[in-house]
Formats: sequence, C-alpha cells, structure tokens
Amino acid sequence: MTKKYPLYIGILFLAALFQEFGLSRLTLFNVSPDIITICIAFISVTVGQKSGTSFGFMAGLLSGILSGNMGLNMLARTVEGFVAGFFNIPVGSHATAKQKTKRIYGAIVTAGFTANSVLAAGYNPLAISPLYRIVVLGLVETLLTLILAVIVTRLFLRQSLAD
Amino acid sequence: MQKFFNLFFKYNTYLLFVVYCCISFLFIKFQDDDLLTKLRNNGMEISAYINDTMMSYSYVLNLKEENDRLMRINTELISKVLSSETTALDERTRQKILADTTLKASKFIMARVVYRKFSDRDNMLLINAGRSDGIKKEMTVLTPEGLVGRVSTVSEHFAKVMPLINSDFKVSVVSSESNSMGLLSWNGGNESIAQVEHIPISSKLKLHEQIVTSDFSTFAIRGIPVGKVVRIQPDKLFYTVEVRLAVDFSSLTHVLIAPLKTEAEKVEMIGENTSL
Repeated sequence: MTKKYPLYIGILFLAALFQEFGLSRLTLFNVSPDIITICIAFISVTVGQKSGTSFGFMAGLLSGILSGNMGLNMLARTVEGFVAGFFNIPVGSHATAKQKTKRIYGAIVTAGFTANSVLAAGYNPLAISPLYRIVVLGLVETLLTLILAVIVTRLFLRQSLAD
Repeated sequence: MQKFFNLFFKYNTYLLFVVYCCISFLFIKFQDDDLLTKLRNNGMEISAYINDTMMSYSYVLNLKEENDRLMRINTELISKVLSSETTALDERTRQKILADTTLKASKFIMARVVYRKFSDRDNMLLINAGRSDGIKKEMTVLTPEGLVGRVSTVSEHFAKVMPLINSDFKVSVVSSESNSMGLLSWNGGNESIAQVEHIPISSKLKLHEQIVTSDFSTFAIRGIPVGKVVRIQPDKLFYTVEVRLAVDFSSLTHVLIAPLKTEAEKVEMIGENTSL
C-alpha cells in the first residue's frame, strides 16, 4: 500500500490546484464542491486513519499556501482525514464495491461537514455568522461535494473499489 | 514502561492527530511571523501567476466574442459620431444661410436635399420639406448663391424640385447692367453652363455681366442671381449667350424655398401653361 503514496501525493497536489483554480469558480450560494475532501476521504477509507490524517495535514498545508490561510486549512484538513479514518475498510475485508462506495460517501459527508465546521469557527464571525456557515453553507458544500463524489466514483474509482 | 509503549503504539494515530493539530495551532498563532508571512506571500504569488495564466488562456479562447463585442461598440460609436457630425454640418450650413444679409432668410423655408438624380438631360432634386411645411407647387428654390429651380411636385413631407439644369426648365432673366432680357434654359451637357435665348443683336450685353431673374417670370421673384455671361455669340437676329451658373449643383446640400409669387392672374393673361 505504501507504494501508492507518491501517487496519492501527486493526486492530492493536482486536486489542490484544481480546487483552487477550477472548482472554486463553480459556486452555488458562494460555496463550491470540494475535491480535496473526496481525495482525503478516499485515502482514509482505503489506506487507513493514520495515513488519512497525514495526507489531510499535507493537503491542508498545500491548499493553505495557495489560499493564504495555512493554519486553519491544515487544522481542518487534518480533522477531515482523522474523521474519515473512522470509516476505514480494513485490509483483507470482504466488503463489496457497493459497501465500500457507501463507506466512502459516509466518510465524505461526515468529514466534509466536520472540516467545514472547523473552518467556520476560525473565520471572522462578523462577516457571516458561524451558525449560518456551519448549518447552511456547510450543508450546501457537503451536498455539492457528495454530488461530485458520485461523479468521480462512477468515472474513476469503480475499478479500484471492485479490487 | 512497557505499558506506556503499548499505549503509545495502540493510540499512535491519536497522537499523530494531536501533533498535527498542535502544529496547525502553532501556524495559526504565529501566522504573522516573518517566515510564515514570506511563505504565504510566495504562495499568493504562485496562485496569482497561475490565475493570470489561466485568465490569459480564457481571454484567448474568448477573443472571438470580445472582437464581436468591440465591433458592436465600434459600430455604435461610428453611427453616433456620424450623426453628430452631420448635425453639426447641417447647423453650420443653416447658420451660414441665415447670416446671409442679401436674403431675408427668415421668410424662406429651409430644406435639405435628400435625393438627387443627375443625368445629362433630366435632373431632379428631392427636398425634405413638403405640404406640411408650407411648400407649394411652383415655389422658387434658391440658395444665397443663386437660383436652384422650382418646386414641381409636392407630397406631405417631401417635394420634388425641377432644377435649373433640367431641359424642361425655363426662366425669364435680365442682365444687371445692360438690362438685356432673355429666356434662360439648359440644353444638357455641362451642368454649370446654361443658355440664354432671345437676346436681340441690338442689345449691349457684355461678357461677365450678372444675369438675374426678371420680373417677367411667373414663379421666381425678381433679382435672384442666376449666373454670369461667359460667352456671347451673335446669330442672325439674336445672340446665343452662355451663362456660368451661380449655383454649384454638385455640392448642393441645403436650399431655401421662397414664398409663392401670387400671380395666377398674370399666368392666365399670358395664356400659357408653362411657367417662365
């Protein structure tokens, strides 16, 4: 599994760039789907919680450098990887592709919403209230991310999950 | 000690999570530190560079739309400029005509030539004043330079003018110095030269004499300049005289229409249908 780490790092790097310069323009209520959450959740679920947490930390550092808010992004992504890790499918599990997919979706929804709550707590409360950020924007973002995850899973991860 | 290590290995994920969280908190706490600020600034520069590159690609891809948009704006601007330039030119011409002291222009109706048909024989002008502006058939059309013609047909908003350079046009004229009278007409050809007929050999007409409309005319008021004598050729009984017309028909844009001369009785007495 560790042989795939460079591949995951590469994918995370590309995902961070795509998120920052592509998906961030695709907004609904000023919220855009988050492909980094999908990557972290996938790594956490398939590889393990520890790897997921570490990749979350790295993804946070990368997206923090690009967006200019390092600390908060690192914290949110670390929490994301850690939370998604609770949906981990152990190596050698006999789970079907459908079960694995469901786990990934569950990890995305839970981790994404948690990370969003962490970010909401760190932003300026005078601009938009944290409650509105968490409940409304958090739910919209989670929903958009889930839709994107369904697309990504069907297009790219079907084979990987079937193995 | 063994228990500690067992605990450490069992919960190392949690420990790792705590370590990462601590590092993140440190980043938040020292976010204004020089090193982190420099890192953030570099990140922002990279981000801005990528954004700029993407924008330039998107600009190139949208160049056709941008060109079309600029073309539309250009067309609108050209139309506005043309419109304002035309208005300014019209106004300048109007002011020039009104300022001419030789004519009492306020009594005249001013109109613009909107169409013209020039050929070697039958020329015609269309002006943008009609019945609604008080234009009537047989009114004299002129400019401060001289006689242009007469109104031949009138509609509600336009009028057709038979210019001096039409083979059917005739007007009674007189020379300003020798008082030689004749009938001016145009035989086709050069649009700046007309002919005066019926000037007897006995008259003292000279070259470069001014020719103006006479009181004999049934439509034109007396004294409108027509042109200057440029050629006198004696015949058996009459001179054949050529007159260089005062009006340059090639650059005619605005005209004045003189009030109608009320001499219907005179026309009736002469007993001719043609206006002279």
